[in-house]
Amino acid sequence: MQPRNNPRLMTTSAQNTITCRNLWQVFGEKAEQRLADALSRSNDPNDVSQSLLSHNLIPAVRNVSFDVKQGELFVIMGLSGSGKSTLIRCLSRLVEVTSGQISIEGEDILAASKKRMTELRRSTLGMVFQHFGLFPHMSVIDNVAFPLKVSGLSKRERHKHVLPIIHMVGLEGRKHAFPRELSGGQRQRVGIARSLAGDCSVWFLDEPFSALDPLIRRQLQDEFLEVRRKFNKTIIFITHDITEALKLADRIAIMRDGEIVQIGTPAEIVLSPVNAYVREFSKDVATGRHATVASVMQKGVQGDLESAPRVQSTMSIDAALAMSSAHLAPLAVEDDTGQLIGTVSPKDLADAALRDAS
Amino acid sequence: MGRLFQELKTDFKLTILWSIAGLGLLVLLLETSAPWLVNWPDSFQLPLTSWVGDALGAGLETVKPLARAFSGLMSYPMRWTNMLFVSAPWSLTLGIVTALAWYVGGWRLALLSLVGLGFVLGSGYWIKGMNTLALVSVSVPLALLLGLAFGILAHKVQPIKSALQAVLDIMQTIPTFAYLTPLLLLFGFGPVVGLIASAIYATPPMARNVILGLERVDPEIKDAAIMSGATAFQRLFFVELPAAKSQIMVGVNQCLMASLSMVIIAAVIGGFDDIGWEVLLTMRKAQFGQSLLAGLVIVVFAILIDRISAALSQERNEHNWRIAFFIAAAGILVSLIGLGPLSNPEDLHLFEPVAAAVDARLGVFTAENGASLDAVKNSIVFYAMLPLRIGLDGAVLVFTWGFQWTTAHSVWFFAIALVLALGLVSRGAFKAAALLIIVSIVLETGISELPWIFVLSLSAGLGWSAGGRALALLIVALLLSILIAGLWERALLSLYLSGISVFTCAVLGSAIGLLCVVSPMAWKIVRPLCDMLQTIPLFVFLIPVLMFFQIGEFSAFIAICAYAIVPMIRYTQHGLSNTPPELLEAAVMSGASDWQIMRDLRIPYAVPTLLLGLNQTILYAFAMLVIAALIGTTGLGQSIYLALGKADVGLGVSAGAAMAILALIADRIVQGFAQERKKALGL
Repeated sequence: MQPRNNPRLMTTSAQNTITCRNLWQVFGEKAEQRLADALSRSNDPNDVSQSLLSHNLIPAVRNVSFDVKQGELFVIMGLSGSGKSTLIRCLSRLVEVTSGQISIEGEDILAASKKRMTELRRSTLGMVFQHFGLFPHMSVIDNVAFPLKVSGLSKRERHKHVLPIIHMVGLEGRKHAFPRELSGGQRQRVGIARSLAGDCSVWFLDEPFSALDPLIRRQLQDEFLEVRRKFNKTIIFITHDITEALKLADRIAIMRDGEIVQIGTPAEIVLSPVNAYVREFSKDVATGRHATVASVMQKGVQGDLESAPRVQSTMSIDAALAMSSAHLAPLAVEDDTGQLIGTVSPKDLADAALRDAS
Repeated sequence: MGRLFQELKTDFKLTILWSIAGLGLLVLLLETSAPWLVNWPDSFQLPLTSWVGDALGAGLETVKPLARAFSGLMSYPMRWTNMLFVSAPWSLTLGIVTALAWYVGGWRLALLSLVGLGFVLGSGYWIKGMNTLALVSVSVPLALLLGLAFGILAHKVQPIKSALQAVLDIMQTIPTFAYLTPLLLLFGFGPVVGLIASAIYATPPMARNVILGLERVDPEIKDAAIMSGATAFQRLFFVELPAAKSQIMVGVNQCLMASLSMVIIAAVIGGFDDIGWEVLLTMRKAQFGQSLLAGLVIVVFAILIDRISAALSQERNEHNWRIAFFIAAAGILVSLIGLGPLSNPEDLHLFEPVAAAVDARLGVFTAENGASLDAVKNSIVFYAMLPLRIGLDGAVLVFTWGFQWTTAHSVWFFAIALVLALGLVSRGAFKAAALLIIVSIVLETGISELPWIFVLSLSAGLGWSAGGRALALLIVALLLSILIAGLWERALLSLYLSGISVFTCAVLGSAIGLLCVVSPMAWKIVRPLCDMLQTIPLFVFLIPVLMFFQIGEFSAFIAICAYAIVPMIRYTQHGLSNTPPELLEAAVMSGASDWQIMRDLRIPYAVPTLLLGLNQTILYAFAMLVIAALIGTTGLGQSIYLALGKADVGLGVSAGAAMAILALIADRIVQGFAQERKKALGL
């Protein structure tokens, strides 16, 4: 499996692969007309939403705009009901967008015909689903090869093509098994393999690991990053788990009530949340693990730093903290009654804390 | 060829299939030298029918006094309700029913009741209709109580559950006419027989829904009731039954409909001057206009009962009770003032001119289009039905096909079939090849003349594939009992007629269902039609068919199809449009086109549902088969009907049992395949 050699991809590599402008997705009767009316009356998304709600319409995605660069891993994070699943279904055109523009690799996909969309899905777009979406009547290999089957490849060709992918996700021993015979983790490996079968360049993942046990989840996250390194894909990844978002993302968009509240790198989200909502998210996260020394250091060299202990600017704050504490004096330890019972060295504390964190 | 033998060794089902095909050809070759392979020898038959008759007769004699006493007892409530229904002024009934309809369903339902009952009044069938309704109103409480008791018993006492389910199966699959004969002997002529038959027929749907409802109660609710300190009795009545209420109300609705349907069927024994009897009488006199009018009265009752009870079962959205009260009061007031010339509803014959006009039009129509109607009928009969019944070797005559089928034709026919089968084998389609041989045997011989050993092995083989050895053995035992009882030829005739009807329904019904999935417009038209066809009691189907195609097997075929196609359409539509959305999204994102999604996802995913639809269609076809005996079918249905006329308990019950056996076998085989597919899909 080599990354596809797509000439168009090369020429656009410097630009944005996905751009999304003023996207609205409204559910309910006569949504399109009502939205157009409301947009003609006001430019403020809040006013528009209020007007829609008063007509019993549900604006699931409100005035969303963002860009994703070629090869970037863009995570959209939000709680359930925040509109993130609807947003990714707009991008893949599984639901018809009410208003706005989306372009993928320079093509206006909202203007694409049904036939063109089918072509795009066979060649350019791949998607992984939260509950796997495996076809119960097909074996693992047939599930994975389904996108090739519908593009008209012969059985031998498509099996030849998907065997390396099945091997890569570690299921070669189970390729003739049926979905019901697989564990949750194995099922999602099939889902991932299927989305890769068409050699897509844009990869959508809709909460792919949410339905899995924590241990399996972490394992699959690591394997996902491995796959990501191997292929040069532009990725949109949906999750409700801030830890997962921070671990995987190049950039994160945080959604609330259908709107994007903040877009930024993991460090930006953790260190400078735009409002209380975003801060609430990052509260449970150990800031020190996701921010680097660079984000908190003071620039400029003043005084004599030659003899000072050194840390790298890319080191996490936790690691730097542990290193710096190693230079402190030992502490005295007392029991419940206040009696002194021993000493502890800051270095031992730091080592223990870092071991837990890693 | 080598690969075929390889596969035969490993694939057991394929072996079964090929053995049956081989056996069939062998038996045909041996037809002259060993005729006992084709026709079950008379010397192996036992007079089971008369034994059953004698045993039942003796048994019935002993309980007869008890039954007659019960009959006497029941005659009181029946007489009272009858008096209540018949002697109540029509304005009072109309007012109360309309008020009820308003209260549960608002102005639409009230209007429907008013117009419907107005039609009944105008038709002059008010009294006859009230006789029918009085019977229903006694039988339904009986069936409801029995059904509730059965349902609770089956749910609470798990060991007897499967036995009770079997009893319910038998109560529903034994043809309705079949138990009328012993009931007649037991209870004597009169409305009590209709009452009992109707209660027997209407109990199973109630019981089934009670079981289903109780099973679906959330276990957490039950646990919560236990932890609140409720006794078993309190749990059942305060928690489980209320929680299962909506399912139980579905049972009430089905119970009402079944009861009405059966009361009308029971009219064939005559004697209680009801609306079903009127339909039968006018049908026999070929007064189709009048017959249609009486049939429409039945349809009106069916629709009103269905809609009002369905509205009752829904969560009540309150309609103003004051208006309901006002409507009822108006009815009472009119009754008090007196109706003057309208006081005797029997005198009203507002629609008689319409009936006469229908008859006249029909006369003109058949005179003008009789030739083309006959052409349609004859071409289906001569080129499809007759060949399937007696085979190409019997049906191909100079008179219809232009040439006479001879042994040489048979030899050529099988030679071609074998060559085609070999072609399929060489392409690896082993199953299709064996099926081709089996189908060609059936076509050449005809279903009603198939060698018994071939039918036996084919059914057993299907049973084995669908449900394992136990089912195969059960099927063999049941079929052998039909052979020994000497009912085999009649059973094959019934099998043939239900077979072609089910096949037609399956093909047409799934095509219509598919169309309804593709085009929502079509579903908007088909859906109310299906609702309508399912509400109409079986009996009424016969009238329009008779009007156009006269008495005969073809009319029976049309009537069966019209009734049995509905479940096939419904299940196809439901199955194909209920693919989980996530699977659809996955298929769309894989780049599948609409047609590819249908072929590779929707249809395979719907197979268990489609099979259940087929199963329902088979049961519907068998139910209608017996009713269709009224307009001329051969086979078991005819025997059952004749036995009713002669009060021949042995024949009636045996032929009824044979019919139930056929239905049961078909049911188990199809259910078995459905279960297997479900398991394969991991559902």
